[in-house]
Amino acid sequence: MEGRILEHPILNFQRKARVKIFFEGREIEAYEGESVAAALHAAGIRVLRYTPIDGRPAGFFCAIGKCSACLMEIDGIPNVRSCMTKVRDGMQVRRQNKNGDLL
Amino acid sequence: MMYDVIIIGGGPAGMSAATVLGDRVKTLIIDENDRLGGQLVKQTHKFFGDHEHYASTRGFEIADKLLKEIQKKPVEISPSSTVIGIYPQNTVAYVKDGQIQKVQYKKLLLATGAMERQLPFVNSDLPGVYGAGAIQTLMNQYGIFPGKRFLIVGSGNIGLILAYQLAQTGVEVKMILEALDKVGGYEVHANKVRRLGIPILTGHTIVKAIGDEKVEGAVIANVDKNFNTVKGTEREVVVDTICVAVGLTPLIELAEQSGAKVSYIPELGGYVPLRDERMRTTNHDVFVAGDLSSIEEATTAMMEGKIAAMQIFEDLTGESLEDKILYDLNSLVIFRSGPKSSKIRTGLEKMGINFPKIDIPKSQKFEKYDDSKLHAVIECNEEIPCNSCEYACKFDAIKVGSNINSVPSFDPSKCTGCAVCVTACPGLAIFMKKVDGKTATLGIPYEFLPLPKMDDVMWGIDREGNYVCDVKVKRVVKNPNKTNIVYVELPSEFVDMVRHVKYQSKESPYVCRCEEVTLDEIEKVIDSGITDFEELKRLTRVTMGPCNGKNCKMVVLGILSKKTGIPISSLSHGTSRPPTKPVEFKVFLKEGEK
Repeated sequence: MEGRILEHPILNFQRKARVKIFFEGREIEAYEGESVAAALHAAGIRVLRYTPIDGRPAGFFCAIGKCSACLMEIDGIPNVRSCMTKVRDGMQVRRQNKNGDLL
Repeated sequence: MMYDVIIIGGGPAGMSAATVLGDRVKTLIIDENDRLGGQLVKQTHKFFGDHEHYASTRGFEIADKLLKEIQKKPVEISPSSTVIGIYPQNTVAYVKDGQIQKVQYKKLLLATGAMERQLPFVNSDLPGVYGAGAIQTLMNQYGIFPGKRFLIVGSGNIGLILAYQLAQTGVEVKMILEALDKVGGYEVHANKVRRLGIPILTGHTIVKAIGDEKVEGAVIANVDKNFNTVKGTEREVVVDTICVAVGLTPLIELAEQSGAKVSYIPELGGYVPLRDERMRTTNHDVFVAGDLSSIEEATTAMMEGKIAAMQIFEDLTGESLEDKILYDLNSLVIFRSGPKSSKIRTGLEKMGINFPKIDIPKSQKFEKYDDSKLHAVIECNEEIPCNSCEYACKFDAIKVGSNINSVPSFDPSKCTGCAVCVTACPGLAIFMKKVDGKTATLGIPYEFLPLPKMDDVMWGIDREGNYVCDVKVKRVVKNPNKTNIVYVELPSEFVDMVRHVKYQSKESPYVCRCEEVTLDEIEKVIDSGITDFEELKRLTRVTMGPCNGKNCKMVVLGILSKKTGIPISSLSHGTSRPPTKPVEFKVFLKEGEK
C-alpha cells in the first residue's frame, strides 16, 4: 500500500502546500515539509539507488540520516541523503547509479 | 562564538537539559532535524513512568511540551544542523544551509542518541527492509503508509509498539518474530498486540527476504538454543515490508572525538562512553545523556538530561543544586530497580555505578469483588516502572506506592466506576466490568477507527485475537487523550474472556465478475425474501453481463438453493437468449443500414 494516511485514531495530519518534484523526469506528488525519501515512498518508489560494486537495488533503512543507504542524485548533486532532504518545488531527483557522477 | 554549554541532540535528553540550563547559562542546542524532539515526535503511544516525567502522555505531546518550555527561555536553537566533528579548543563544527559553522563550549552535553541495529540475513539490503524507526518516521511523522503487509523481527518494546501502531493505521501485521524463547518487551505491550490477532512467534528468526527489486516475502525458520536455524523448518510468508527491531546502537562518534573514553558494554547497547552517575565522562567538561549513554527509554533519558544539566550548572556557577540532584538520582535508582532494568543495572555496574538492593513491595490482593456494580479490572502483573493509574484514581482505589515498579494494588470497594484509570493506563491494561445476571457490561479501551457506534453488533475478541461471541455496543466514551472507551453488552460467561472488539470482516468474494456482484450482496437480497432466480437477476444484475451468465449462473443457483433449501433442479434457471457471445452491433444491420 502506498499513499498518504488521511484518517488516524491518534494523529491529525495537516499537509502543507503541494509542491512539484520530479523523479527521473516524472512528476511526483509531494508536500512541503516532507523528505524526498518519504514523498517517493508515498508514490510507490522504494529503489533509491543501485549500489557501487554489485549494482544491487537499495532503499533507505533508518530514514533518520544515520545509515546513508538512501543516497540519491538531487538537483544534479550525487550522494545526497534523501531522507534528510526536504522536498522543494521544481526539485529534480534521480536514482543514483553506483557512486554518482559529478557533472 | 563561545557558549557556556553546547547540547548536541535535541531529543528527550537534550531537551530536558535545555529546560534546566536555558535561563541560567548561555546555551546552544544543535539538532539535525528541522524541529526538536528527536524520536519522540513519532511516538504515538502513551509513556509509562511517573507523573513528574510525563507518564500517560503520548510521545509527540511530550516533545511539544518540552519545546514550549525551551522556547520560553533564552536558549539558542540551531535546527537542520549536521554536526560533523569535535575539534581541538572545544570546537564543534556543523553544517547548516550548506555552510560550515564553528562554535566553542565551556561544557559539552552529548545527547546524540542511537541508531537502529542491522540484522544481516540474505537480501537484508533489499528495499522494503526497514528499521522500526524508519517505519515510524513514514507513518507517524509524514503520514505515509509504510507498506501493506508486515513482518516484524524483534519483540522488544519497539517491535511491539510498532505492531500496534501499524494496526492503528489499518495495515496488516502478519507476525512478530523473536529469536529468544520469550517476549522481550513489557507484557502489557505484548497483550495489546496479541488481542489484535498478531501472533508473536518465539524461537523464530528471518532467514531471507524474497524479491528482486523490493520485498515480496520472507523465509522464516525456527532457531535452536544457539540461535542457529533448524533445518527443515523454513517457510515462506507473503509480506511487502520487513521491519527490523532488534535493538539500537549508541552513536558514540562525537563522544570519542570530544576525548571521552568509550568501553564495550553489551548490556548498555555496545560501545558507550564511560561516565559517572552524574553523567560526566572521562573528559571533565563533557557529559552524556540518553540513549548515547545506555539504550533505555525516553523517561530515563529525560531524567539523565536533567541530572547532567544540573551538574553542569554547578560546575559553571559554583551554586549548589545538591538537593535537587540527589532527589533525581534517587528517583532514577528507584525507577531502575525493577526486573526489566536488570540489564541496565548490570551494565552500569561494569562502569562502576553501583545500585543498592531494593525490594519492590508486593501488591495487596483484595478478594471481594462486587460484580453487580461497575468496577475496574486491572491486568498489569509485571513489575514495570509506571504509576499512571495511581495518579489517575481520585478515590484511592489504586495504589502503587513508594516504588514505582510495584504492581498496582486495587481495592474494588473504593472504585466508583469512573474509568479514568482506563484512559490513563499506557499499557491499555485496565477494563471495566459489571455483571447483571446473565448479561454483563464490559468497558474496553479503544484506539482504532472507525469508532464503534451505539447498538452495533461487533465481534468480541479474546486475549489471543480469537472470536468469542457477538457483543452489542451500549456506550462509547470519547476522551480528549484519544483512548476512548467502548462499553459493550455480552453474555456474562464471556465477560472475563473478551478483551477487544472489532467489526466483522467485510471481505466478500465476487460471484458475478461481469456485473461485479459479491456473495454478500446476493445473500442480502435472498435474506430480504427474494427466492426467485429471475427476480434476483433483476435486482442484482447477476448473470446479465457480457458472459451471459456462463461464469456465475451455477454458483448463483447454488447459493439460492443453499439458502432456500430448494434443490437446484426445482429452481428456474432463466432463459438463454441470443446473442450467446458479445459481437459487434453492425452484424445485425442490413447491408447499407447505419
